[in-house]
Amino acid sequence: MNLAIADIETLSPGLKRFTFTGAELPWAGPGSHLVLEIPGAERTRKNAYSLIAAPDGAYRIVVRRVERSRGGSHWLHDHARPGDVLEVRAPQNFFHPPRNAKRHLLLSAGIGITPFLAYAQTSGLVYELHHCCKPEEAHSFRALLPQGANAVLHTNREALNLHGLLARQKLETHLSICGPESFMDHAISLAKSLGWPPAKIHLESFGSANWGNPFSVRLKRSGITVDVRPGESVLEALEAAGLNPPCLCRGGACGECRMSVLEGTPEHHDHYLSESEKTSGKSMMICVSRAITPELLLDF
Amino acid sequence: MNKSRPVYAPFKLDPSGAAHLIVTSLAAPPAGLDDTLSEVEVWTVARTGPGIPVPMVGAQRPFRSRTELLAQLEHRLGRAAIGLRLYAIGSEAFIWDAANIAVAAGMGHGEIFTHQAGPRLRRVYCTHCRTMIEDVAVNIAPCPACDAVLSVRDHFSRRLAAFMGVKVDAEVPGEIPAPEEFAT
Ligand code: FES
Repeated sequence: MNLAIADIETLSPGLKRFTFTGAELPWAGPGSHLVLEIPGAERTRKNAYSLIAAPDGAYRIVVRRVERSRGGSHWLHDHARPGDVLEVRAPQNFFHPPRNAKRHLLLSAGIGITPFLAYAQTSGLVYELHHCCKPEEAHSFRALLPQGANAVLHTNREALNLHGLLARQKLETHLSICGPESFMDHAISLAKSLGWPPAKIHLESFGSANWGNPFSVRLKRSGITVDVRPGESVLEALEAAGLNPPCLCRGGACGECRMSVLEGTPEHHDHYLSESEKTSGKSMMICVSRAITPELLLDF
Repeated sequence: MNKSRPVYAPFKLDPSGAAHLIVTSLAAPPAGLDDTLSEVEVWTVARTGPGIPVPMVGAQRPFRSRTELLAQLEHRLGRAAIGLRLYAIGSEAFIWDAANIAVAAGMGHGEIFTHQAGPRLRRVYCTHCRTMIEDVAVNIAPCPACDAVLSVRDHFSRRLAAFMGVKVDAEVPGEIPAPEEFAT
């Protein structure tokens, strides 16, 4: 669908809030995201952004200006104007609040706060939110954070005693984590070492892992070879080559874009495949994962 | 194979847990306890248990009855921290009572393990008068409340932790087969 940007608010030098309105927007529950098609100099970017709660039914997202941006966030920060119309895919949700949880422990870092802003406005959802950010961004995140003692801001990761926090939770608590890969990996391995069952750990990542070395993918069935540049995902490279591989979340969460790897070794950045599937290297999620070898042969 | 009948794996501690609570309707702890893991506690039912809360002896705590044990379990899980694994060992009625308490406390997949052990006794639910009959050893049994003679089916309800008992002579009144002990 085509949606117009109704409003742009600057929250800090690096953070802007965008509001989209339109007639009869489909309802989007907490954890949903939008995929925006963002114009770029060379090609269109498709970026996924979590919807922060929108009680009036408008869609709102918060976009961070990424230093090594692949184009999307720079365009939104520097060029987008109210009234601009973007192609937007109807919201998808791969990060519902777990339904059988009586309490939620929410951990986020940086722009990973966004889905939890929607959680926090969900009535009846009992939560404790811990958010980590850089000291220079504390001011703008404090303004975004929900009010109350159950939402705590930490200006460096060390200030948050994650071990103590994870160890003292009750059996009825589920853990949800959203943030950069290093933050998520640290929290996940700590939680697992404290005996958290995988069924109670819920993850939302965003395609921040796309930065990396260039490599090429050879496609067995299509018979072509596509170069993947630094800052570009396999999915984006295939799309740029005019192909239409299946995908939904574009963030390594839904499993839709899984492809079989026939030759070469993938470097996994998703949270979908199991550890043993990752070790076997026989398949990969092309929206976030890259290659260790200079070339991959994919069954596509 | 009856689909309503749960399948039980052999007992084994899950090393990913940070603490382990074993509850059994039997008098002795299960064989094969892994002593390389710390934080292992065993609750047993020994009819000669003390009957009043006592400090734990080592990591083993005897109760006088299943009822007493399950009441304490609910209390204990309400205060427990994440990382706990619960192992319920014994009759199917007991292990599913324990599992249901654990689910109500917020435990789920990967945290609760059930293992059938001991004599093959069944809790039977009289589908005619809704009475629960404990520790039934044979497949034909009278309901003590409504006097129906029940055939004990293999249909097991996890919610009730009981097998269904249905009138045996519903079709031909008075025709009652010889009772047999349960094999499973
Ligand atoms: S598109 Fe969802 S995992 Fe890749």
